[in-house]
Amino acid sequence: MTEVAPRTPHTAPRTVSSAFRIFDLSLGQMLWSRRSVFLGVLLGGPVALAVALRVISAMYTSGFRINGAMTPGSTIFGMMIWLLYIRFIVPILGVFYGTSLIADEVDDKTITYLFTRPIPRRAVLIGKYLAYLVCTILLVLPSVMLVFFLVVPTGGSTVAEAFPPLLADFAMLAIGLAAYGALFAFVGTRLKRPLIIGLVFAFGWEPAVLLFPGYLKRLTVAYYLQALVKHEMPQDSAVSMLLQVFREVPSVGASLAGLAVIVGLTLWAAGRAVESREYILEQ
Amino acid sequence: MPIHDQGYRRYGGGKSPRGQSWLVIARSGIRTMLQKRAFLGLLLVSWFPFFVRAVQIYAAANVPQAAFLAPTAETFRQFLDQQEIFAFFITVYVGAGLIANDRRANALQIYLSKPLTRAEYIFGKLAILMTFLLFVTWIPAIVLLIVQIAFAGNFTFFTNNLYLFPAITVFAFIQVILVSSAMLALSSLSNSSRYVGILYTAVLFFTQAIYGVIYAVTRSSMLAWVSFSANLSQIGDVIFRLPHKYDTPWPISFVVIAATIAVAAFVLDRRVRGVEVVA
Amino acid sequence: MSDIIATDHLSKWYGQVIGLNDVSVTVPAGITGLLGPNGAGKSTFMKLVTGQLKPSKGTINVLGQPIWNNPSQYFRIGFCPEQDSFYERMTGLEWVSALVRLNGVSESDADRMATRAIEAVDLVEAMHKKIGAYSKGMRQRIKMAQALAHDPEFLILDEPLSGMDPIMRRKTIRLIKDWARAGKSILVSSHILHEIESMTANILLINQGRILAEGNVHQIRDLIDEHPHTVYIKADQPRALAREFLTHDDVLSLRFEEAAVVVQTGRPDAFYARLTDLAASGSLGAIHEVTSPDDNLQAVFKYLVKA
Repeated sequence: MTEVAPRTPHTAPRTVSSAFRIFDLSLGQMLWSRRSVFLGVLLGGPVALAVALRVISAMYTSGFRINGAMTPGSTIFGMMIWLLYIRFIVPILGVFYGTSLIADEVDDKTITYLFTRPIPRRAVLIGKYLAYLVCTILLVLPSVMLVFFLVVPTGGSTVAEAFPPLLADFAMLAIGLAAYGALFAFVGTRLKRPLIIGLVFAFGWEPAVLLFPGYLKRLTVAYYLQALVKHEMPQDSAVSMLLQVFREVPSVGASLAGLAVIVGLTLWAAGRAVESREYILEQ
Repeated sequence: MPIHDQGYRRYGGGKSPRGQSWLVIARSGIRTMLQKRAFLGLLLVSWFPFFVRAVQIYAAANVPQAAFLAPTAETFRQFLDQQEIFAFFITVYVGAGLIANDRRANALQIYLSKPLTRAEYIFGKLAILMTFLLFVTWIPAIVLLIVQIAFAGNFTFFTNNLYLFPAITVFAFIQVILVSSAMLALSSLSNSSRYVGILYTAVLFFTQAIYGVIYAVTRSSMLAWVSFSANLSQIGDVIFRLPHKYDTPWPISFVVIAATIAVAAFVLDRRVRGVEVVA
Repeated sequence: MSDIIATDHLSKWYGQVIGLNDVSVTVPAGITGLLGPNGAGKSTFMKLVTGQLKPSKGTINVLGQPIWNNPSQYFRIGFCPEQDSFYERMTGLEWVSALVRLNGVSESDADRMATRAIEAVDLVEAMHKKIGAYSKGMRQRIKMAQALAHDPEFLILDEPLSGMDPIMRRKTIRLIKDWARAGKSILVSSHILHEIESMTANILLINQGRILAEGNVHQIRDLIDEHPHTVYIKADQPRALAREFLTHDDVLSLRFEEAAVVVQTGRPDAFYARLTDLAASGSLGAIHEVTSPDDNLQAVFKYLVKA
């Protein structure tokens, strides 16, 4: 039998550097995919609303009044952060991207190319997760910024005053995207029908459980994330009023720790799932 | 003859009349979904509110202290509202992949190369989703009405609320047709059922969120027509002769619903083709 | 290390369905053709070899080490999968370069290696075009480029010739043989028997999850006793030859065709020796052509699979 010439042994592939290479490969794919274009359009919704509010506010020289009281633009901005970004956009981005990190590659049958490279499988997941995070931050933050500059100057509030809290909002939204993304990445790698489960969790479980007193709410991302929001929760419905009554707010430290645990644990579990699972592609 | 011909023989049996091919698609789709245990679980859970309501009706009819629980027209209206969440999950579960999966598998060309019109294909797919949606909305509501008659032992409630049966039917069908056509149209836009599911969720919840902001700022529900679920709710209040939840005029809500169905039909007409028209 | 792949009682099942059943086989260095009908277990075997699936039972070593969850092995392995799937928005060069970068090389090195691989598969003119615009044959070639860009010592090619026109097929077969001559080992899976035959005589024949035969196709043929060898002889005096053949007991049957006699023999070595003498002496007229229609992969495949 023919002897194969011995080659220089290669060093074992490292997770971190491999993850960055996957991030590099995936970021462009994610940013310019049709789904990101759609989400960009979706994130234009709050901006369009902000434009409309600004135009309407210009018609009333003194801004908006809520329950007869003059409402500064920063309060309206806070409402929009709650109602649009925290309760809807951040969780839906987490579900949308998080559940499909690996599943998209499997559906497109490109996973083979990544899993037959000298990189640990968990590096593929982590790299794609990082790409998701950057991609969503790049989509969400400009939308928030535009809404801020359109809405805040109405009703007597100033951009200068409201700017430092805006930075806190950026950080909070980025943390929210990280937490939901990691959680749903875990759901996507472990469970069948991750989209349904993700939607049930984000729009069924979380809103329901937050209403009840007790420890159950600690099994949500929203419990920890909402503690980082400096704006007042809007009272737009009976449910919101109930939420205000039963709301327990953990400290910032406890929230950050809780979210860090969620991100770490779920990403680790997702990495383990990807390494042990066999992906059988549709023929 | 001693030696029989082993070659191909034409089918000599009876054939269904033309225009019934959609039934084949519908039956096959329904059967496929019913084979999934998780989906059967979801259907079972969807009937849980029915049992709660049935207990309420029984108690109201047979326990004097529970007379305050007696059903009214609003009870049935609320029941249909409660079923909306299950309708949402079933729509995403069943509807997202109806056309998207066929597009992914390049099956549209195969379907449309058979003696099957595009309309039959679309109706067949619609029928799958509508069947399950009616199973969790219209059917339990009607059964609840029958249960009320059975537990009360008389037709008093029924005769006093004769409009309830048509109201339940009309509202359930409007809801189901709107939701099914919208989901089917979205499903025809992509070959990823996951993407379609998110698209549908985004449209539904986002319009609600936008309306939430508008309401929070203006304290007026005149612009409730922005939200799809608010439009449906407004029409429901009209059909059940209940006070309207929103200030938005109900004809506007009706127009929005009709326009959505029309847009969905247009999208389906453009997207469901055996070949892609380039120029 | 001389065996590229070594399996020991390797089995794989999917629920109740057995994909591969107790396979113990070694694949030597060089080119090996993996053959089998649809559903034979070729894909399962390929996936086990490439570490996409984990064995249900038994072991599989590739280049001396287990492959499942052992990513460092992929430095030495290049895989060209069957499925036609890519990142369509990337150009050919971008795609191959991005995948090579996953081997830990720098961007400039990756570009250089990718370009070299693309040159090897004759796709230079299209390397700056988006893969979405490629024809089927071009897509196949760019797939092969990504498999060999990092200069692996073992190439696994799953249906590499699918979608290629005849000229490109010949070029690719030549390339594969060149790579083997350069020291690479190659496992090629294909349905196209004559093309496998033109690449290698070393085959691994699989059917219903079991290995039917492994090794040199001619040796395998010789061992298939129940199917006598067929020899086609075109000559001036076929009937005279036939009379001579019938005097020996290793000739089992014969029939006549136009200016030829087709012989079935149970002992081909002895028969060929006599035939050579007859041809040399010319005593029974000139012999113009001698071929063996079934000493080939097709016949081996047919005999073993249908057995």
